[in-house]
Amino acid sequence: MRAETLKGHLDGMLLAVLEAEPRHGYAIMEALRAGSGGQFDLPTGTVYPALHRLERAGLVQATWSVHGGRRRRLYQLTPDGRRALDSERRTWRDFSSAVTALLRPPSPAASQP
Amino acid sequence: MTRPGPVQPGGGPTVESYLAAITARLPGPARSRAGIVDELRSGLLDAADAHRSAGLPPAEAARAATREFGDPRQVADGFRAEIAARQARRTSISLMAGGPLVGALWVVAALTSHLGMHLGSPWHWPELSPVLTAGIHVVAVVIVAAAWAALAGFAVTGRLTRWLPARPGRGPTVAGIAGFGAAGADLVMLSLLAGQLAIAPGKLSPLPIALAAAASLARLTLATRAAHQCLAIRSALAVA
Repeated sequence: MRAETLKGHLDGMLLAVLEAEPRHGYAIMEALRAGSGGQFDLPTGTVYPALHRLERAGLVQATWSVHGGRRRRLYQLTPDGRRALDSERRTWRDFSSAVTALLRPPSPAASQP
Repeated sequence: MTRPGPVQPGGGPTVESYLAAITARLPGPARSRAGIVDELRSGLLDAADAHRSAGLPPAEAARAATREFGDPRQVADGFRAEIAARQARRTSISLMAGGPLVGALWVVAALTSHLGMHLGSPWHWPELSPVLTAGIHVVAVVIVAAAWAALAGFAVTGRLTRWLPARPGRGPTVAGIAGFGAAGADLVMLSLLAGQLAIAPGKLSPLPIALAAAASLARLTLATRAAHQCLAIRSALAVA
């Protein structure tokens, strides 16, 4: 999938990936890839500025910690981040069900005279 | 097979030269870049580990990791906007925190000086020269404008980021205006003080005046530097 198509939804997906547990940058990227069945394959480097922006917006909180002998910046959702994720989910559900309804091919029964 | 490169701290030659390409495009003080580079390095090493586990030799795994991270220019551009916002936010917060203190010191200095012994607003004090009155008016207007600019700089670089359309130049612009505004107010106050000292030094109480002047001088220096940094980062964004 093209990076531009993804961009508008990146924030919501990053929040979703962090919902279950705190993760560091590379693990977030791997979770995005795995969770989308390999569809979302952004340049990994572009995920980091997005995470910093979410941190500045108060949606995630980052802390440095040492895992496996490597210093990593661990991101976790804040209460505001959870709320933002809920609202992102609602918006997406409404949007996608509307688009699905509109794009559905006409059923054979309805198209018969 | 590739020749073994020189041993480098951290990520090895491929990763380190990739990081150097990003660092070269990041504006601002080295301190703010160091955290970003550390975080990217640990991510690149994670990626290289993953490629090594998939069977690539170390040097090839490092190259695959940098390819996976993408064009260093694109990564740096993403961070430039972040660095700009952080600089703007830091400047706005410092100005909002320091402003009331500097203001309070000048009010105390005025009230304890002979001029201020009468109650009422400073600009209504009868002994004030027209120049002093006009100067104080100018300072009041500039300070109010700078305070609003600092507030805007704080607001647009924080939680509002979620709802505002992405315009990375906005934060540094208003923070720069706030910084130059505060510095301008300090310059006027210090000039008025110098004038007053030349005309009627006996009317001023030395210690509070010295404190207020020192505070204004310190803020003049710091605010000018911060405002310059904000505008420099803003023009770096425009070039990107």
